[in-house]
Amino acid sequence: MALIDWSKVTLTDPPQLPREVLRELKKGIDGTFREFSRGYGEAIENFFHPLLMFLKWFQDLLIETPWPLILVILGALSWWGSRSWKMVVGTVLAFLFIGWLDMWEDTMATLAIVSVATLLCIAIGIPIGILMARSDRVQAMILPVLDIMQTIPSFVYLIPVVMLLGIGKVPGLLAVMIYAIPPIVRLTNLGIRLVDKEVLEAADAFGSSYRQKLFQVQIPLALPNIFAGVNQTIMMALSMVVIAAMIGVPGLGVPVLRAVSNQYLALGVMNGLAIVAIAIIFDRVSQAFGKRLQKHREGEHGA
Amino acid sequence: MKKLIVKGLATATTFAALSTAAFAECGDVQMAEMNWASAELMANVDKFILENGYGCNVELVAGATMTTFASMNEKGQPDVAAELWINAVRDPLFAAMDEGRLHSAVAGPITQLGEGWWVTPSFAEAHPELDTVVKILERPDLFPDVEDPSKGAFVGCPAGWGCQLANANLFRAFDMEAKGWKLIDPGSAAGLDGSIAKAGDRGENWLGYYWSPTAMVGKYGLVPMDFGVPFGGSENWDGCIVKAEQDCADPQPSAWTKSEVHTVITDRLKQEGGIAVEYLAKRIFPGPVMNAMLVYMGDEQAGGEDAAIEFLNRHGDLWKTWVSDDAAAKIAAAL
Repeated sequence: MALIDWSKVTLTDPPQLPREVLRELKKGIDGTFREFSRGYGEAIENFFHPLLMFLKWFQDLLIETPWPLILVILGALSWWGSRSWKMVVGTVLAFLFIGWLDMWEDTMATLAIVSVATLLCIAIGIPIGILMARSDRVQAMILPVLDIMQTIPSFVYLIPVVMLLGIGKVPGLLAVMIYAIPPIVRLTNLGIRLVDKEVLEAADAFGSSYRQKLFQVQIPLALPNIFAGVNQTIMMALSMVVIAAMIGVPGLGVPVLRAVSNQYLALGVMNGLAIVAIAIIFDRVSQAFGKRLQKHREGEHGA
Repeated sequence: MKKLIVKGLATATTFAALSTAAFAECGDVQMAEMNWASAELMANVDKFILENGYGCNVELVAGATMTTFASMNEKGQPDVAAELWINAVRDPLFAAMDEGRLHSAVAGPITQLGEGWWVTPSFAEAHPELDTVVKILERPDLFPDVEDPSKGAFVGCPAGWGCQLANANLFRAFDMEAKGWKLIDPGSAAGLDGSIAKAGDRGENWLGYYWSPTAMVGKYGLVPMDFGVPFGGSENWDGCIVKAEQDCADPQPSAWTKSEVHTVITDRLKQEGGIAVEYLAKRIFPGPVMNAMLVYMGDEQAGGEDAAIEFLNRHGDLWKTWVSDDAAAKIAAAL
């Protein structure tokens, strides 16, 4: 069959596949995916089942924990991160406000999925970043993938993910991770590559192994960059909360969607601001933590 | 747009002038082609049958529920709205019918249409004894929720849609929480369709809200469930079920409110159209046929005209019951 319908080509119409061929192509791809979903969908679903149970457990845990305890834990975390009383007071006040406006449960659900997504992104992203820093070839292969993940409209991959896994937390988590993992990978890679060559030469001169160089020289010196990556990953995970709600993930995104389709101004603004409040707290705490790490390192090395 | 209309009018006038003599028996009919797939198909089927079978001169004009109705009501044009969902225009439509300006050529030109609760065909086959919602509600174990398999999953309407309130209130009315059910919010139309696609592709059990005529119903062969209780009266429905939870303290079980669709015609056509009106009164699409055609239109990206030809080719035994033998022969020849 002809791959270009020459009769249709003009100065304004570029060469294109004949309509029937294009249609067959699309139908073929859809059909293949449907076969795949029928054949392996259940196995894939079972593979992710423990993750689903964990997500559900963690969300229930956050929702059922008494609110004063949650406030104490959040306050302690922000003290541990920032060592600033202002930060701690701000965090506690923000969450009290969220509770006061009847958004506590949705906020806990959002916190659950965002923190699990962030932890998984860190656990997967940092090793990939290290691999990329080690080899130019790996970097050349992974960079375009990261570009795709950051720019492809989320609904494009939500369709196959929902067909494979249904609606709910796991597909939502995957969607969030696809969007949120690139910064941590990129900045880990960048941080390690930016470590001073002379420092590495010195490490070589002392006869350190690859492992020693990586864990005792490169990663510590790259930590500020890695932390900037963690920070960006958290922000991007939070920004996906509304998209995740579109495939049935509970949380602050659900009332936002309801507000959008019914023109409920106040509901939308309140829930949107709750997402912002969480984002600001996470951002300030993680940045302060990153800065503190840097200072500590600088002091130790006397740089 | 303006250009199109002018052009359309010009063609219509020329045509009218040329054809008055030839097609005197039926004359000119202006039909609305609504901007959704099932109505596009119906308008084009009507056009083909009336033109080739009865020698009418049919012109299709683009339309939508509100605008087409307003134009028919005020100007008496177009002559036919094949698929008019009357819930949106109930009061003015009935007023116009009382005054004799508009008439219903047929009530329910597509069968089995409307909203309701549906199950996947594999479930309906495996459990023919569970043929009403009331019976199904006793068996939440057949629809295990992924997150909590001890509960049954009922997929409601996406957050923010009007039907979300109705589903949530019916969930309470049927006391489903106590019976071991969980109301799932699919989040969006894509989420709702996705959950059906997944269950349908794998032959899993699925119970949830949907509506017909739609390509989804046709593609996955969803089966509408009888509620097992009658419609609980408009006081219960309009005064409680469709309202927010706090405004509906005591919802009563009820079947879903009927969506009424009519083929509406103008008084002029009723007086002068003769044979066209007779045809419209008989022309009823069974729901499954319509849904299958919608699947075809989606898969093949076919417009109303292509789909009409496909329908006429596929379902000869159906449309031949709508027309006289003489007309049927002419239409078959034209195909």
